[in-house]
Amino acid sequence: MRDKREIIRDEMAMRARILEILKEGPKTVPEVAERLSRPTAEVMFWMMAMRKYSLIEETEEMTDEGYYKYRIKEGRK
Amino acid sequence: MKYDVLVIGGGIAGMESALNLGDMGYKVLLVEKEPSIGGKMILLSKVFPTLDCASCISTPKMAATSHHPNITLLTSSEVREVRRENGKFRAKIHRKAVFVDPAKCTGCQECEFACTVAVPDEYNFGLVARRAAFIPFPQAVPKKAVIEWVGTSPCIAACPTGIKAHGYISLARAGRFEKAFDLIMEDAPLVGTLGKACYAPCEGECTRGSLEGPLPIRKIKEFIAERYYEQHPEPEYGPPEELKDKRVAIIGSGPAGLTAAYFLARKGYKVTVFEAHKKPGGMLTYALPSFRLPKRIVERDIKNITALGVEIKTATKITSLRELKNQGFDAIFLAAGTWEARRMGIEGEDLEGVEDSIDFLKRVNEGKAPSLKGKTVLVVGGGNVAIDSARVALRLGASKVVIQYRRSEKEMPAFQWEVQEAEEEGVEFQYLKAPVRFLGEEGRVKWVESVRMRLGEPDESGRRRPIPIEGSQEKTRVDFVILAIGLKPSTSPFKEEVELNPNGTVKVNEKTLQTSLPYVFAGGDVVSGPSMIVSAMGQGKRAAHFIDLFLQGKSLEEEEYENLLPVVSREEVLSRQLTHSEKRPLKKRTLPPNERVKDFREVELPMSLEEVVYSASRCLDCGVCSQCHECIRVCPADAIDFSQKPVEFEVEAEAVVVSQGFKLFPAERKPQYGFGRFPNVINAMQMDRLLAPTRPYNTVLRPSDGKVPENIAFVLCTGSRDRTVGNPICSQVCCMYSIKQAQLLMGALPLADITIYYMDIRAFGKGYEEFFKQAADMGVQFVKGRVAKIEEKKDGNLLLYYEDIENGGVKKVAEHDLVVLSVGLLPNPSVSKIFKDETLELDSLYWIKQVEEDVSPASTSIEGVFVAGTAAGPKDIPDTILTAGAASAEVAAYIERKRRKG
Repeated sequence: MRDKREIIRDEMAMRARILEILKEGPKTVPEVAERLSRPTAEVMFWMMAMRKYSLIEETEEMTDEGYYKYRIKEGRK
Repeated sequence: MKYDVLVIGGGIAGMESALNLGDMGYKVLLVEKEPSIGGKMILLSKVFPTLDCASCISTPKMAATSHHPNITLLTSSEVREVRRENGKFRAKIHRKAVFVDPAKCTGCQECEFACTVAVPDEYNFGLVARRAAFIPFPQAVPKKAVIEWVGTSPCIAACPTGIKAHGYISLARAGRFEKAFDLIMEDAPLVGTLGKACYAPCEGECTRGSLEGPLPIRKIKEFIAERYYEQHPEPEYGPPEELKDKRVAIIGSGPAGLTAAYFLARKGYKVTVFEAHKKPGGMLTYALPSFRLPKRIVERDIKNITALGVEIKTATKITSLRELKNQGFDAIFLAAGTWEARRMGIEGEDLEGVEDSIDFLKRVNEGKAPSLKGKTVLVVGGGNVAIDSARVALRLGASKVVIQYRRSEKEMPAFQWEVQEAEEEGVEFQYLKAPVRFLGEEGRVKWVESVRMRLGEPDESGRRRPIPIEGSQEKTRVDFVILAIGLKPSTSPFKEEVELNPNGTVKVNEKTLQTSLPYVFAGGDVVSGPSMIVSAMGQGKRAAHFIDLFLQGKSLEEEEYENLLPVVSREEVLSRQLTHSEKRPLKKRTLPPNERVKDFREVELPMSLEEVVYSASRCLDCGVCSQCHECIRVCPADAIDFSQKPVEFEVEAEAVVVSQGFKLFPAERKPQYGFGRFPNVINAMQMDRLLAPTRPYNTVLRPSDGKVPENIAFVLCTGSRDRTVGNPICSQVCCMYSIKQAQLLMGALPLADITIYYMDIRAFGKGYEEFFKQAADMGVQFVKGRVAKIEEKKDGNLLLYYEDIENGGVKKVAEHDLVVLSVGLLPNPSVSKIFKDETLELDSLYWIKQVEEDVSPASTSIEGVFVAGTAAGPKDIPDTILTAGAASAEVAAYIERKRRKG
């Protein structure tokens, strides 16, 4: 795993790409990671920060494998 | 300031002590180093064994502490020194700058949402990001934003005009290109020009330069400007609403003059720029070749200035400053540049076909270029102007272009990249060679006689002096000669009016740029000699600042100009990370050399949006806060204040309570458990955060991929009862907090299996044994055995190797999808260093020593200094509150006893 500080720093550069992927519909962290070709642990940092700052939110749905899906949260740009 | 009691540390022990003492009527100063009080307790999910909500207990205490009439609360502050003076304590307090005015901040968080810098959130123990502008956590007291700005980023400090490179890089990284443009405009109006032709001193200082190479800061600016100008062909602003009645004249419309005009016009002055040439822009328009700086960019840049109502009078040469003053101008900025060429003083210089570089470049930029088709051109000189001239000559069709420079390549003042590009295009460099005369036929140059040089001792410029080698003369054919040996300031008309230096530059006060004639300021090349665009702009900006003060009638000497924090060191920036993964700089792309020389098309190719974002993402955020100013833009209360400075002051107190708490055992010190390497190995504080109502994720998820864990293990005694890490004692709380977390997990994830690997379960307090049994009854598995090591599987699951003591002591391996290391408590003894003259003694394990533990548990080795909470040793929350009560009682008794004695 890369240094945590370095992964977290990349969030700002990754936001637009993640939002673009979520435009297709709600996705789990591994699904987004696959599309970005980035490790799931890194995508977890970016998506959880995006959730914290109201860019995305979880849906009610959980996959059979135990993953929540996240969608774009309207309202904040 | 006088207080009865100084309390150091605003966790639960400090708050409880302060509240008790405040209630007794003592005046208390509570000093907390973090931006909020609450310590670690406010970050917990629930407390054991009652499972009451930790926030629900903490927040009323925090609010009471903050509102208590007898308690003064100082957050983001540290006690740096305590000494006894006249029977009392004097303490030096350091209050950090937080760059937000707490009186104005409403805690709305708009700055956090707008901030472009993401860093690990220490209040969530690194599980998620926070912003450089932040409120520590939702229940923070005071609930005020603070900004982590640790120093000026080196790129910003390197810029002569103070452009916030880090700021616009972080805006570009976040895709906010318009705002990046606006930010650059705060410091410099010629954004496009700098993007194309700045020599980028910022890149030379970039910390990434000590890894794989600096960020392409200039190319990122080029992208920002090009994109902005494409979307905004005209500026979308006009003159400021409030205009002043004073007028300023500016002589010269080069980068210095234009920049001064821009800043003065923004302040509301009526500005007129006088330009001797037909077009504005100075050297940008007339000297820089368009393959480096397209004229469309200069023209659009100039609109940024004229949109403010600045009038540029072209083809108007000014020859008297006093005359200009008499025309009704209140101040003058002299920025006439360096347009006079130095001559070599050798035979044949006046022949036709021998031209000064500045005249040559000017002719070309005016569209009156001479045809050099098939000709042999000699350029004399080693500066950037020489290289530009040579490259222009190639584009005008010259079959051969030679540069003669009298020193070696090492001493050449031109930039290496320019030399390289010229070489690629076919310019021939002849080092250690210089002409001694030009020979002609029918008044036109035909030969040059040159001599070879050797280098002698360094001269006053520090470069080695060239010495001609006798007998080395040689004569070669030449059709055209360009002399680029230096430029002189255009100051001759003003020599009677303002004081000049011996080299003809204008003499100015270095700080204010004021000349010997008080209403005249001067800057740019006319002061510095031939320099760089961004340096000239820096002087224009500086001059505007002081002209404004001058016109307000203020004393210039007393006023400050820049207000920057000290520069952050490379070492500090690089030490923030254990590792830096490689992020290679992108190779600069140019037209192929054979294509370039065909015409005046731009040599450099622009970066794509993806390349810009990638390049910007290489930024290391040296100053943490990037100075992107997004917080200033969005703050509805106008509370952001980057001029804030740290404050040092002294207070007096009769007694001191040390309650600085404990440190968590850093689990990286048990490398066999993989903490920090395996994302799904977390520590117990992180698990408490996952369980807390203000948790970092939507629920308990494993950090590696967001899966809801099904099989969670706790490893007890991580870093406690462990001589190998130097902490032989029991931390007293790990068993119970782990059982608490296990119970909470059973509630949150009813299907999950929970296993606790333990050495002994220590359930010594009231209700603790029952709490333990309750967990076992709920289905928590207790396995007696020390975990030897943890390995990570490809799917992120973890293999725990342990000794199963109760089943014959056999070695076993178990698989879990999340592992919690129940870390121990370590002392936090640095507080002992602040006591001068007297020693605050520590015990053998570095906890604050309780000198009379049995009879006076709060007493320390210093009379009048008392200890509360975990500063003296590990304990749970009820015991912490008990010791705080004891400390407050002992403090009160001490003060009263002393007062009685008088």
